Amino acid sequence: MHFDPQSLASRAAHLAPTDPWPALGVVVGSVLGVAAFVTVLGLVLIYAERKIAAHFQCRVGPYRVGPHGTLQAVADAVKLLLKEDVVPTGSDHLLHILAPVLSFAGMVLCIIALPMGPHAQVVDLDIGVLYITAVAGLGVLGILLGGWSSHNKWSLLGAMRAGAQIISYELSAMLALLVAVLFSGTLQLSGIVLAQQEGWWIWRAHGAGLVAFVLFVVAGTAEINRTPFDLAEGESELTAGFHTEYSGLRFAFFFLAEFLNLFVLAAMATTLFLGGWMPLHIGSWSAWNAAMDMLPPGLWFAGKAAAVVFLLMWFRWTFPRLRVDQLMRLEWKVLLPIGFANLFFAAVLVVSGWYFFPTVAAAPVPQLPAAGSSDDAGGAP
Amino acid sequence: MSDDLVHPAATPAGTAALLPGPSGGAVAVAGPWLDTAGSVGAVRKGIASLLGGMRVTGRYVARPSTVVTQHYPENRETLRVPERFRGALRFHHDADGYHGCTVCRICEDQCPNRSIVITQREKGALTKKELDTFIWRLDACTFCNTCVMVCPFNVLHFGPGFESAVYDRRLLVYTLNGYAGPTAALLNKQADPDARKAACEPRDPFCGPTVLQALAEKRAARRKAAEAEAAQGVGLKSPAAFEKSAARTAPDPVPVPGPVPVPAPVPVPTQPGSVEAADVG
Repeated sequence: MHFDPQSLASRAAHLAPTDPWPALGVVVGSVLGVAAFVTVLGLVLIYAERKIAAHFQCRVGPYRVGPHGTLQAVADAVKLLLKEDVVPTGSDHLLHILAPVLSFAGMVLCIIALPMGPHAQVVDLDIGVLYITAVAGLGVLGILLGGWSSHNKWSLLGAMRAGAQIISYELSAMLALLVAVLFSGTLQLSGIVLAQQEGWWIWRAHGAGLVAFVLFVVAGTAEINRTPFDLAEGESELTAGFHTEYSGLRFAFFFLAEFLNLFVLAAMATTLFLGGWMPLHIGSWSAWNAAMDMLPPGLWFAGKAAAVVFLLMWFRWTFPRLRVDQLMRLEWKVLLPIGFANLFFAAVLVVSGWYFFPTVAAAPVPQLPAAGSSDDAGGAP
Repeated sequence: MSDDLVHPAATPAGTAALLPGPSGGAVAVAGPWLDTAGSVGAVRKGIASLLGGMRVTGRYVARPSTVVTQHYPENRETLRVPERFRGALRFHHDADGYHGCTVCRICEDQCPNRSIVITQREKGALTKKELDTFIWRLDACTFCNTCVMVCPFNVLHFGPGFESAVYDRRLLVYTLNGYAGPTAALLNKQADPDARKAACEPRDPFCGPTVLQALAEKRAARRKAAEAEAAQGVGLKSPAAFEKSAARTAPDPVPVPGPVPVPAPVPVPTQPGSVEAADVG
């Protein structure tokens, strides 16, 4: 099957000169779609986390609100919306209010660039990987601001820990990302997905892809402050870390951003190493590939992302937390050397063309119809 | 990460720092940041241990049968209470409803907070000492199990009942024995069933000296009124429905304190032997 990916933004840009109203419809639809997606996915993830966590611990989890507790997340969200929103005395009010917004904005900016299907991508930037790593940094800014402005030493300690941790682990995450970028020869996310038309990088790259995937998942878990790297919240020693002083709606924003960052991480790992929305193709086995194409790409993406999310939840509810020194040692003395060695190995593989089905990746990256002609995001009227 | 704490002797030369020891000599101190020897093995062991943990939790997820949560109010009918759980104290009654209490009062003496009070019949039917009421105060009991352990005749045991919430704390005083009278051994020697019955006098959970006699009577009166109403056909409840609702809370044939402290639906006798013990319930 030939895939012809087109992002919603480029579709709008295409339509804009001749049909401004449909173009506007696409823009408004994608904005509303992202908003609905973020809300619904947040609730689903919170419910799934609670339910799966419960079963990891021989419990049943939410059970009373709705059938099998399915409405529990909704009830909790409504409760959070109705709660009093406390800004502590002595805090920096503006920054205190800004922090969760920044955290949330970073997450939404990541989501709009993720390719969830050939036509289910809001913006397809040609520096997609770089863009995502950059705007994911806004989340750190939100955490640091939240900790700083709360006028609370737990918050500040948690925020500083989070800052040190995220900045450290971003290195390993980048080194792992670069492996996929090297093999695909592009920073464009849809291009990376298309480069995996002959097979996913996790198995096509003679181990380099697998190592990079594991590195990315470990470093990514640390970046989104999830257990076993949840030192920023450190319940046992820091009460709740950077969001100790947050309540009500603003806490909900932090919480939602945390859970959706989980999805962003899973989606990035999927896109880079598990083929994104690409079905499980193997080289030129046309019968096999046709069989795999029977499932729509969106379903492939959802399934793969869900599998990675489940893996991350499995980690969270199994592994013990690291101490601060262990955390730094793991990054600088274990992950970083492995990342460099793996990147070097991957470079050798790419240069020598010694991986499965090298011809496709060597071919020029397909250009999207609208990419060259007009500005991607600003094309709407 | 217990491998971090490497014994100084195990540290290869050059990786250990030398610090002055308390006795003046140099002591080799190995910090985790200095130890690189064996780190590959440590990483391998660490990964194996993490995978082992994931196998354990993965098994819990894969098998819903490992869930231990009880959906309590819904599964009251099928709730399984562990055998050794110490719920409400109960009397052992045999198939005939006879108990083995000889009024030796060891449990009463041994009870650390006097939650057991035993009264003896003024005039025994077969022997001098016969149990009248065995009163147990749930509100004073610490469930220490001493009474169960000291009883020479294994009369007492802790049952599964745990729903002991009531609106009046006086309702937490129970009479445990189903009848006042001699022990099972003595009763079984009586060949004549009528003689056995004559020797016994029924007791229900709320008939002791501290009983809420009035409450029991009120309930009996209410029941009688309901029956009368039903007989006239004006009551909202049919007799069958009443019996059904009564059966839900009615205790065993021998009234022992159940989770719901409702007196047995028999009128409390005023004369010994006026109501036959076998009719209880």
